[in-house]
Amino acid sequence: MTEGSAGASAVRVRGLWKRFGDQVAVAGIDLELPAGRFIGLVGPNGAGKTTTLSMLTGLLRPDQGTVEVVGHDVWRDPAEVKARIGVLPEGLRLFERLSGWELLTYTGRLRGLPGTEVDQRAAQLLDVLDLAGARHKLVVDYSTGMRKKIGLAAALLHNPEILFLDEPFEGVDPVSAQTIRGVLERYTASGATVVFSSHVMELVESLCDWVAVMAAGRIRAHGPLAEVRGDAPSLQRAFLELVGAGGRDAGTDLDWLGGGPR
Amino acid sequence: MRSMTPVFVRLKLSLLRNGLRQSAGRRAAYAASVALVLLFAALLLLGLVALRGHAHAASVTVLLTALLALGWAVMPLFFPSGDETLDPTRLVMLPLRPRPLVRALLVASLVGAGPLFTLCLLVGSSIAVARGAAAYAVSVVAVPLGLLVCVALARAVAAANIRLLSSRKGRDLAVLSGLVIAIGAQIVNFGAQRLGSAGLGRLDPVTDVLGWVPPASVIAGVDAVSEGAYAGGAARLALSALALAGLLALWSRSLTRLMTSPDGSTLPSAERGARDRSRSAGLGRLLPHGRTGTIMERSLRYVWRDPKTKAAWVTSLAIGLIVPVFNALQGTGSIYFACFAAGMLGIQMYNQFGQDTSAFWMVALTISSPRDAYVELRGRALALLVITLPYATFVTVLTTALLGDWAALPEALGLSFALLGAMLGTGAWSSARFPYSIPQEGYKNVAPGQAGLAWISIFGGMVAAALLCLPVIALVIWLHVSPGGGDWTWLLLPLGSAYGAAVGVLGLRLAAPRTSARLPEILAAVSKG
Repeated sequence: MTEGSAGASAVRVRGLWKRFGDQVAVAGIDLELPAGRFIGLVGPNGAGKTTTLSMLTGLLRPDQGTVEVVGHDVWRDPAEVKARIGVLPEGLRLFERLSGWELLTYTGRLRGLPGTEVDQRAAQLLDVLDLAGARHKLVVDYSTGMRKKIGLAAALLHNPEILFLDEPFEGVDPVSAQTIRGVLERYTASGATVVFSSHVMELVESLCDWVAVMAAGRIRAHGPLAEVRGDAPSLQRAFLELVGAGGRDAGTDLDWLGGGPR
Repeated sequence: MRSMTPVFVRLKLSLLRNGLRQSAGRRAAYAASVALVLLFAALLLLGLVALRGHAHAASVTVLLTALLALGWAVMPLFFPSGDETLDPTRLVMLPLRPRPLVRALLVASLVGAGPLFTLCLLVGSSIAVARGAAAYAVSVVAVPLGLLVCVALARAVAAANIRLLSSRKGRDLAVLSGLVIAIGAQIVNFGAQRLGSAGLGRLDPVTDVLGWVPPASVIAGVDAVSEGAYAGGAARLALSALALAGLLALWSRSLTRLMTSPDGSTLPSAERGARDRSRSAGLGRLLPHGRTGTIMERSLRYVWRDPKTKAAWVTSLAIGLIVPVFNALQGTGSIYFACFAAGMLGIQMYNQFGQDTSAFWMVALTISSPRDAYVELRGRALALLVITLPYATFVTVLTTALLGDWAALPEALGLSFALLGAMLGTGAWSSARFPYSIPQEGYKNVAPGQAGLAWISIFGGMVAAALLCLPVIALVIWLHVSPGGGDWTWLLLPLGSAYGAAVGVLGLRLAAPRTSARLPEILAAVSKG
């Protein structure tokens, strides 16, 4: 978004492969994600989004290929990479027997931030994310939306350059979703990069300025939102065309459904 | 509306039947357990009948009835999901009045293996103590009354606690259930052994009191009538009847309250704040600063708050104390049994990352060098030592005091510390090498398919730790067999401690590079729960 960071790439992926047994989850991805953008990784369930994000963040070892984050190899130079990224994975637990406050101070101190700084940042994050009232409640008793928000707070605490979010809006109520959105928009406006995965096209269309479309373990299209959308009326349409589901129509089946004779 | 009772009895029978229909394994398990209960009940019945005429028959039967009633009271707290008709919140949408509902539920809960077992015990107990026609006539009232009190007790307890049982805390409690039973069995076993040696006469003062406590008072009542004390008998029976009425009233009241107020799960529960904060502040101040203190604080919090971790710890603490101390009490002990405490507690170092579950990713993202991994593992080992070091010392001193063998204290302590260090070292290494998932729900401690891994990790680790301690053990033996060596056994305290520390640090040093190199593999292994 800022002029200075245009052209620089936040993440550079080359020939990334991952198989689980016979199943190929990620089938050779080459991708450059520009810095300073709000990037959406979209695709149907099972497209390989979570597997890809896990490999980008060093939580899953790829079978082949390299990942560079802000110019540092994820596997050869983990110290440089881990200090610069924030992650909110999907399907992994948090330390749920800590309260929201304790989880944040724990994460901050593990990250090596000074104690007073952690306390200050944690209090502000809890405030902004509407969690101040639940700060002393155990995370195990949080709702889905609250968990996503506390996860986001933990990912933002050390002020990372790049934020990776896996389905951050899944199962989140509209109020929490709006709060998360507000925080992310403020964060990217300052020049940071957000990479998030979703299968909700409307959401991606309204939030992102750069998208990568995934299906069956491959990247089908990538680039600025307008470019990927092309002539299609919406990203949803363009996406259905790209993944080859555009022609499918429910018109002829289920013709008994609806009005008329029961 | 007029007769709900048959409906609920049929509901209970269908639930039973449908539960069995789900799988052949479940059917077989149920059939086996019912057969076992029936066999046990029959044997108990025979045994009680054989007790007839024995001098302490009344004491034994009253005590057994009281124990059984205790079982009925405690059961619903630990096995809340055992009976779906126990949960009145399922009926909340139906237009039911409390009084007929209570009657119907009470009759329905008389169906099952538990009530049948209770009936056998009560019948057997009555036969054991009853003498004369009057006593038998009283038994006809006493047995059903006793049974109803037991069932009503379980229902009243369950209804009063259903909020707790259907909440997260209730599920946490259920994880601890196996443990309570295991430790309870140990204590009953020990009590029975003591009784066996001291004679049943010891029981009489206890049962004099229990004889007035419902439902045990029904058996004491039959006994009183047998001895011609009709007034005492009537009073005891009346006491049980009164208790039944009281329990039913209590149950009915909680049912009404439950069915007319919102579900506990929808109410916010944000009242725990102040307490948490004060405790964390106190804990945090005592621990070292930086990463080490942060890791220690989280580990110690989990010992208390995570039900799985807590159950493992309580087991270790209890067994580590029971084995040396009970053996010493029975005069069969040796001071070296005190090492049991160190060994049992050292087990907690094993599978450190499995205890994190998939939340390990939060740790993995902050480890980017072997140094980070070393600090992480060292923090966890130090957190363990905060508890294990004083506890192992306490158990060793206690065992020594019971045996009166103070001269052997330094060598026992030295051995304990050496073993503790070896367990921590091997535990750290095997945490990195053989991590496995611990499922958070249910009583299992290993995810399906990883049992072999868990065995290698713990069993192999314990053998390795024992082998690592061989030099210290050899030194103990050598000092004991060599002439004049007995004067030098105090040396084992500093030597054993230093050896334990060295082996522990070595284990951490070897585990650290492995941990930092295998972070994704460890995360995958601990995320299967």
